[in-house]
Amino acid sequence: MTSKTEKQLIEQIIALKEIKPRKEWAVLLKSQILIEKRVEANVINQPEAKSVGILDILSSIFFQRKLAYSFAVVLLMILGAFGFAQNTVPGDLLFPVKKIAEQSQAALTGHTGIKQNVVFLNNRINDLVQVTREGKDNNVSSAINEIKANATELVKDLKDNPTSDSQTLKDIAVGLKTLATVSGTDLTNSPGIEDLYQTVVQQQIGELEKVTLTDGQKVTLEEIKNLYDQEKYTDALEEILLINQQ
Amino acid sequence: MDRLSEQFGEIYDQNIDKIYRFVYLKVNSQEIAEDITSRVFMKGWEAFQMKSSDIKNPSAFLYQIARNSVVDHYRDKDRTKTVSVDSGLEIADSGIDAHEKAVLSADVMTVKEAITKLKKEHQDIIIWHYLDDMPITDIAKLLGKPAGTIRVAMHRGLKALKEIIQEA
Repeated sequence: MTSKTEKQLIEQIIALKEIKPRKEWAVLLKSQILIEKRVEANVINQPEAKSVGILDILSSIFFQRKLAYSFAVVLLMILGAFGFAQNTVPGDLLFPVKKIAEQSQAALTGHTGIKQNVVFLNNRINDLVQVTREGKDNNVSSAINEIKANATELVKDLKDNPTSDSQTLKDIAVGLKTLATVSGTDLTNSPGIEDLYQTVVQQQIGELEKVTLTDGQKVTLEEIKNLYDQEKYTDALEEILLINQQ
Repeated sequence: MDRLSEQFGEIYDQNIDKIYRFVYLKVNSQEIAEDITSRVFMKGWEAFQMKSSDIKNPSAFLYQIARNSVVDHYRDKDRTKTVSVDSGLEIADSGIDAHEKAVLSADVMTVKEAITKLKKEHQDIIIWHYLDDMPITDIAKLLGKPAGTIRVAMHRGLKALKEIIQEA
């Protein structure tokens, strides 16, 4: 062997940096250490996990199953009650369930306020139509009470927040016309309903005064005002529905 | 993978080549080097999980485990340094693989075999300083000796290495 200078020797030592582990071995070792050994450590650090017996597991499963079955039965009963309640009318046992379902649906869809109260009123008017059509005399008074209660609620809303939405007012007017057709003048002249007529007619007159009308509509509006002054609200509402169609 | 695993994963990536080379140059066998290096990192990981905050210098910590593991290896196999020197040729031959032959010149292979015949302390200092670029002051801290002593030991180690190569 020829004699090396120290510089040559150091260069050859540095060349040993080329010695490296097999790449696949290094990758495998890393995964073994960090994954498998971590699992072992977790098992060692959690001896209580081993002490869980088969009975504990079984009882846990059965308890959870019992709970799940109970929940499923209750859920089915609730869904069944809600489904059956859709065909009920005021005075029926499950009618409150129908109302709860309507209110829940409205709350979930974000429909609240006057528009939703108009929907509720029209639903109750439809209930009365159904009661009349099916000849359920025992349910008539309950249906009328529901309508009055809804009408009172709606009047309060309209007075607190007068609406200029013609569609909402038109929906109320159509509902009231349906009511008048079904029940006759007795109901339309009752306090809650009459208040609603008056409020709607008053607000509709206000809206009509703001818009440009034809000569014919101006004449009709004057007639509506006269009817309103004479407290003939149902007739006034009839005219309002007509003026909108002119 | 949690934070601790990620941290040790980075330490592993930074040190696997160094620790393997350090061990390999001492045992001169790929199989044994892989076995010992595996144990070094497993022990390192166990310790890291229990007291990661206490380990200020992970590289030095792993080197310390590696040094002890090599000592344990020779003790377990009843292979002292003397025996290793006596059967140096046989051991050196077993450590040569195709990759090594391809990347290392004949002269470098001679140097590699000569390093296995050095005293343990000279081996450590030469490997750390020239192969791992560790400053003399860091080696001094690692071995708990003055820097001057390390410089002297390094010169002696280089001289001994040159003599071994000349004798070969």
